[in-house]
Amino acid sequence: MKSVVFFFELHQPRRLREYRSLDIGKGKGYFWDEKNNEIINRVSDRCYIPATQSLIDGNIKATLSVSGVLLENLVRMREDVVDILKEYFRKGGELAAETYYHSLCSIWSPEEFSFQVNEDVRLKKDVFNIKPKTFRNTEMIYNDNIGFMSAKEGFKNILTEGPDRIISKFNPNYVYRNPASQNLFLRNYRLSDDISFRFSNPSWNEYPLYADKYARWLSESPGDVINLFMDYETFGEHQWKESGIFEFLKALPEEARKRDVEFTTVSEATKHSPVSEISIQDYISWADYPRDLSAWLLNDMQRDAFEDMKSLSKCKDKRTWRYLQTSDHFYYMSMAGVQDQEVHTYFNPYGSPYDAYIFYKNIMEDFREKCKS
Amino acid sequence: MKIAVLGWELPPAFAGGLGIHTINLFTIISKIMEVNLYVPDAPGLLSKYPFQVTRINISPGDSNYGKSNDFYESVVKYNDLITTQFKNDISIIHAHDWITFRAGVKLKKMTGRPLVVTVHSTEYDRSGNFNPQRRIMDIEEEGIREADRVIAVSNYTKKIIHEVYGTDNSKIEVIYNGVSSSIYSNMEKNYDNTKRVLYFGRVTPQKGPKFFVEAARKVLTRRKDVIFVVAGTGDQLDEMKNSVRTFGMENNFEFTGFVSESYSLKIYRDSDVFVLPAVSEPFGMTVLESMSTGTPTVISKTTGVGEALSNVLRCDFWDTDKMADYILAILNFRPLREMMGKRGRIEAMNFTWDKAAIKTMGVYNSI
Repeated sequence: MKSVVFFFELHQPRRLREYRSLDIGKGKGYFWDEKNNEIINRVSDRCYIPATQSLIDGNIKATLSVSGVLLENLVRMREDVVDILKEYFRKGGELAAETYYHSLCSIWSPEEFSFQVNEDVRLKKDVFNIKPKTFRNTEMIYNDNIGFMSAKEGFKNILTEGPDRIISKFNPNYVYRNPASQNLFLRNYRLSDDISFRFSNPSWNEYPLYADKYARWLSESPGDVINLFMDYETFGEHQWKESGIFEFLKALPEEARKRDVEFTTVSEATKHSPVSEISIQDYISWADYPRDLSAWLLNDMQRDAFEDMKSLSKCKDKRTWRYLQTSDHFYYMSMAGVQDQEVHTYFNPYGSPYDAYIFYKNIMEDFREKCKS
Repeated sequence: MKIAVLGWELPPAFAGGLGIHTINLFTIISKIMEVNLYVPDAPGLLSKYPFQVTRINISPGDSNYGKSNDFYESVVKYNDLITTQFKNDISIIHAHDWITFRAGVKLKKMTGRPLVVTVHSTEYDRSGNFNPQRRIMDIEEEGIREADRVIAVSNYTKKIIHEVYGTDNSKIEVIYNGVSSSIYSNMEKNYDNTKRVLYFGRVTPQKGPKFFVEAARKVLTRRKDVIFVVAGTGDQLDEMKNSVRTFGMENNFEFTGFVSESYSLKIYRDSDVFVLPAVSEPFGMTVLESMSTGTPTVISKTTGVGEALSNVLRCDFWDTDKMADYILAILNFRPLREMMGKRGRIEAMNFTWDKAAIKTMGVYNSI
C-alpha cells in the first residue's frame, strides 16, 4: 500500500524589538514579547488547536516537530495546545526533533549542533515523555554531514527537501539511504505546495482543490511514499479557515483510503525499504527558489549579522546568544527575487529587510558590551 | 495633436525643478506631438529648442523667485500676457503649477479646448503647512477645478489635492518624474566611510532643516566624528546656523552655500548618507539624484517619491530619534550602506522621462 507522509513544522521565533542605536546600553530588552505572545495566541487558536483536533478526529497519522523556542512558550502560556498535542501523540502521531533554537548551527558548529539537538530532545522528553527517532533540521537544511551529525545523536530517519537537482535523478516518492545509513525522506515539493501555497489561490488552474481530486493525484504519483512536508501554520493561518482547508484535511483520509493510499508517520513509512543511497554534498533546504542557504546567508547584511553572532560564541550569557541564532532573524534580512521576496515580506514583522538588519546589529552591539562584563 | 504648454522656466535659464521637468518631458513628447511652449522671456534662453517656444516679455529680471510681492505681480502679468498673445491652433492646453493656472483657465474659456494641469507642488507643501497664502490657494483651487484632467507628481500629492481641494480622485493621474540618464554615467561610489551626512536643498520650513539639526544633535551623542554638510540656501539658513551654534555643533557642521548642478553629484557621492526631512515634499527629485550616485537616503514619510521606493529608510519628519538612528546605522554598518546604495541606484534608474512622457500623452489621449 502506498504511504503518504505528512510532516508538519510548528515554530515561532522570539522576534526582536525595534532596537535603536540610541537604546544601546540602556537595558532595553531584546525580545518583542507582546508581539510574540500575540502571534502565539493567534496561531494557537487558528491553527494548532483546530488542526490537531482535525488530525485526531480524522485519525490521520502524521509526524510533527515543535521547535524548542516555541515549545517553551506553549508550556508557559498555552497548556491547551500542549495537551492536545499530547493526546495526538498518544493516539499514534509521531514527534520529531530539531535544533532547539531553530538555528543554523548545523552549518558551522558540530558542538553547538549537538548541544541544541540535545536541548530539544530533553525538553520534548520533559513535556511529552517521548524520545524522537526522526530528525528534521531547521528549514530542511541538509547535506551528508548533517546526516552524520544527526546519526551520531541517534536519529534513524531524516527529512529534507527534494529539489529539482536531486529529483531529476531520484524520484522523491521512495525511501532512500544516506551515507550515515539513515532513512532519507525527500519532500515532494509540487504536491506539498499544492496545499501550502496554492490551495486558496483562485488564479491557480486547479482551484478549488477538493480532497477527491488531490487523493487521485496522490494515488497517481508513482512510488512508495509521498512526502508532504509543510508548516503546520498552513492550516488556519497561511490558508484561512474560510478557504475550506480544515474540511479538506478531514475529507482526505477517506478519499485516500478509497484509492488504496494510507497516511503514516515517518517512522512507520520505513516499512518501505530504501531503494538506493543518495549522497548530497552541497547544502539544500526547502526555502526560496534556489533551495539552498540563500534565504538566510546570501546578501552582505545577512553574512555580516551572522558573523557578528558567531563572534560572540564565548559570551557567558549563552541563552540569549542562542535566541539570537534563530534563523528567522536572518531570513527577515533577505532581499531575494521578486516571488520569494513576497514570502519573506509576509513573514517579516518589520516590513523592511533593512530594519531587520539594523535592529539586529544594534542588539548585537549592546550584547557585545554585556558579554565583556 | 498640438499641445500648448504653459511653463515658467526653461534651462539653461531657470531657477528650479520645473524647468528640468519641462525640457525633459516635452523634448520627448515633441517627437510625437506638436508642442508650443510659453515661457517668460529671460536672458540665457537658447535660440532653438526641440519644440516651438513662444517667449512672453514681462520686463527683464522678473522671472525668478524674488520677493513674494514682486513675484506674485510678475505671475499675474505673465498670465495676462499669455492670453493676449495666444495662438489658437491647438487641441489641448497644459498648464504647470499655480503660476500658469490663471492663463490656463482663461484660455480654456476663450478657446473651448480642454485643460490639463500638472501640480508639481501645492501651497500646502511650500508653506510647510504653516500660514499658506490664501490668494495662491484660490488660484490653485480654480485651476484644479476647471481642469479636465489633473496630473500629480505622486500619490502623496494626489491625496493632498483630494483633501485640500475636494477634487474627485478619478480626475487625478499620478505621473512620477524621471531622472536624467546622464547622472548614471558617473563613476562608481566607494563605500568607505566619509562620515559626512548631507542636507541638500533649499533651507526653508518646507524642507525641515530644523529636524535635520535635531537629528544631528542626537547622532552626536553617539559619535563625535560626524560632519553634517548643509548644501543650499534659503530664508531659514541664519536660523539654522544659530541653532547649530546654540547646541555647540559648529565644528560638526559645514555650510557650502548654493551648489551648482555639476558639483552636486560630487557632494552626493562624497556623503555616507543623504537626509531629506521634508515636512511636505510632493516628489523629491534630490532623493533620486542621491540614489543615482549610489548614496543611501533617509527621507520623511511625507516625501512623495518614497511611496514608490523600497531602498530608502523612511520616518516621520518629526521623529528625529528614528532619523538619528537610521543615520547612525548607515554610518556604522558598511553592508547597509553598500546594499542600499547599490540597490538604490538600480531602483532610481526605473524613473525615466520616457515613462513620464508616455503617461502624459496617455492623459492627453484620454480627453
